[in-house]
Amino acid sequence: MKHPLERPDTQPAWCPGCGNFGILKLLEEILTELEYDPKNTVIVSGIGQAAKTPYYINTHMFGGLHGRALSVATALKCSNPSLHVIAEGGDGDMYGEGGNHFIHTIRRNPNIVHIVHNNMVYGLTKGQASPTSQKGYKTPVQVEGVSSEPFNPISVALALKAGFVSRVNIGNYAHAKETLKEAFLHKGYALVDIFQPCVVFNKVNTYQWFKNNTYELDHSHDRSNLISAMTKALENDPIPIGIFYQKDTLTFEESIRGNGAKALFTQTHDIEKIQKLFESY
Amino acid sequence: MMKDANIPFASTISDEPVTLPDHNRVEKHHTHSLSILIGGAAGTGIVTLENLLSDAFKQHGWYVFSTKEYMSRVRGGSNTTLLRIADGPVYAPCWHVDLCIALDENAIPHVQARLRDDTMILADTSINHEEVQIQSMPMIDSVRKVGSLHYINSYVAGVLFGIFGIDSIVLSKSIKTIFKEHDPLKNEAAMQEGFSYGKSLSSINLPKLPEARKNIVDTFHLINGSTAAGFGFLAGGCNMITSYPMSPSTAVLNFMASISDIFDVVVEQSEDEIASLNMVLGGWYGGARAMTSTSGGGFALMSEAMSLSGVSETPAVVYLAQRPGPATGLPTRTEQGDLNLAIHSGHGYFGRIVLAPGDQQECIDYAYLAFELADRYQMPVVYLSDQYLADSIGMLPSIDFSNYEQRRYIQPTESSYERYRLNNTGISPRGVPGLGEGLVVSSSHEHDERGQSTESYQIREDMVKKRKQKVDLAISEAHAPKVMGKGSIAIIGWGSTKYAISEVLKALNDQRLFHVHFTWVHPLNPAHLEILKNTEINIVIENNVSGEFADILKRYEIQIDHTILQSNGFPFFTDQLKEELSSIIKDLR
Repeated sequence: MKHPLERPDTQPAWCPGCGNFGILKLLEEILTELEYDPKNTVIVSGIGQAAKTPYYINTHMFGGLHGRALSVATALKCSNPSLHVIAEGGDGDMYGEGGNHFIHTIRRNPNIVHIVHNNMVYGLTKGQASPTSQKGYKTPVQVEGVSSEPFNPISVALALKAGFVSRVNIGNYAHAKETLKEAFLHKGYALVDIFQPCVVFNKVNTYQWFKNNTYELDHSHDRSNLISAMTKALENDPIPIGIFYQKDTLTFEESIRGNGAKALFTQTHDIEKIQKLFESY
Repeated sequence: MMKDANIPFASTISDEPVTLPDHNRVEKHHTHSLSILIGGAAGTGIVTLENLLSDAFKQHGWYVFSTKEYMSRVRGGSNTTLLRIADGPVYAPCWHVDLCIALDENAIPHVQARLRDDTMILADTSINHEEVQIQSMPMIDSVRKVGSLHYINSYVAGVLFGIFGIDSIVLSKSIKTIFKEHDPLKNEAAMQEGFSYGKSLSSINLPKLPEARKNIVDTFHLINGSTAAGFGFLAGGCNMITSYPMSPSTAVLNFMASISDIFDVVVEQSEDEIASLNMVLGGWYGGARAMTSTSGGGFALMSEAMSLSGVSETPAVVYLAQRPGPATGLPTRTEQGDLNLAIHSGHGYFGRIVLAPGDQQECIDYAYLAFELADRYQMPVVYLSDQYLADSIGMLPSIDFSNYEQRRYIQPTESSYERYRLNNTGISPRGVPGLGEGLVVSSSHEHDERGQSTESYQIREDMVKKRKQKVDLAISEAHAPKVMGKGSIAIIGWGSTKYAISEVLKALNDQRLFHVHFTWVHPLNPAHLEILKNTEINIVIENNVSGEFADILKRYEIQIDHTILQSNGFPFFTDQLKEELSSIIKDLR
């Protein structure tokens, strides 16, 4: 059955059984349940299988360059703070090519939702290691197995005191939905790292593997405590999922433009002020 | 969501292109000028002395131009500032100088090549040099008596006014302004010490002073190329700048930051230049008027986003202040070596406009125009300045900023809106999210009319044609070069060489020579180049090693007979350029 938010006349170019289908459905349902007006919602993405997602959801979208969605999304949100802005892409896109922007976007804290499809492998370029691939994982390029330490987006985000840090497993749909919804309701930058399998290239980290190797953080975890969040983030056998940390802080657009700033396209400069400033030289 | 369309200055592509304000100026050159070179270490206040003297000379009634050359260090080394004072407009530097002030011992060997036999050199009594005759002044002892070496600048300014025999009241006024918060009384005392000493030297052989034009120039504005560009960007409606600092572009970022408390301008220092230009695109996509500032190395990192601007038809403005490369090159020096980079950066075919202002007025006009053109054609516009133009201070008469026509090309969307709808101009109305009923789908992929990725070869052909059509439109609306004078020998320049060339042509007073100055350097309109096919000789002057612009003209079948090129980190100096050009034209009979 077609979801009303599905973009008309489009066919997802994903492989059958891909975890991306679940994430697409998740996003459609959440936007609908939160009653976000698609005409006031923008999804910014980069390049990769995950970054194709906004082409299939009927909202505004800016499909940019590999790794650069966060830069576009940050400036977009600042230019019109009344928009709901989502940046979406895969682990290679957001943590590899866009690693520098990942760090500095967290520092800025724009009020956006950052969704990262994390399947621990490169899909679009056919099976090379991603920054999150586990040690020893063999690929056509990493023939002896990955030797680099896997990138831990949760602990990195926590080290930068991101305001909302979470991880979910698309195989655990209800939990994923509940968590992503909270990310949307959080004011400020919100990271949602989503475990998903690549059914074609990653024969190790499958639906079953993610199920067997994750556990839900329960109420005993204090999500306002940065230190215990970091301890949880460093656990890897099994891997915790859920909201690691949450804290409200001033957003990028608020600190730069103040509260309730208007869309820049409605604003003009006072020419007399320019004139007056010039006369002072 | 905003359902009511409320776009200020709403315009569409069917409106005729804007015209730049006519500033109603008769541009006459000076008839006499005097040059003063000040040499000293970084961090010793050489810039303060430049500002103090410029202001005081202006108040006295002289036209003033100043330019600096400095090392890539914060303290120490040996830097110079050149001041030229004149009885008419002056906007270019000279190599040899009439007067030199050495603030320390190292300054003398640093400037030695620029001294003539009759150059007067002023330095502290403690400074001696085997080959150079120095006019000593008790600078250090005098300012120590006043209290501190901090007052050297005021002392030296006083000496100059004393030697020139000008009333020190003007200088006192400038000291009050410039040192408002830094001991104005001590500075005044140091100045008076210098002034008395200068007066005692008035019998020495002094270069002839230019005539003062009081009540004309004292109303003018002293402004450098960076600040002038900043005013132009503001006039163009710039309300977002995202940049990574890089010499010599940073002054524009600083200017925007300095005014962000009075204007609604988003200023953000990005983590790298890749982020800078992607942020610019995010800004424009959201309806902002965004720019970035950088130099060659940073711009190289922006290549991919230039390409994204091209295919997604998202406007962008890049202020590119050139310095000599390759790589780190000479970070604080000047060159016109990034023209090819500006024109060709980015993969794939897409349109862009490259503008290269030649003086402070053009810095304002074309910065304004950069925003107008980016919005009009939905393509990136590169504004090419260089260290020389950015850092040089010249004088501008008053400007009426209400003469810069304001336009905004974004449009409210209907529910059937398609971002890349084909039409007869190649330019589809640009919607922004949150304004109207439509969805704005922008894409880096090849896309169909609504913005969806496509691999259809027919749609690909249509979209390539659409983007090419925009280039053709921009060419048909391109600005022609400024042609100054007429004759059989065209002296061709672009960007910051404008005044060096025109001063040299005036000095040579050869009826065969005329000046063709390009500010709109890409894409060129072949009809504008016809004039260069009717000349006997074409000579291109540009500050790079390979003749980048000359090569472009050759592609339009313009015969280039001679080039005068330079790549030593300096701007063209009028006296040197005059000799080079003379030696070429003396053989042309």
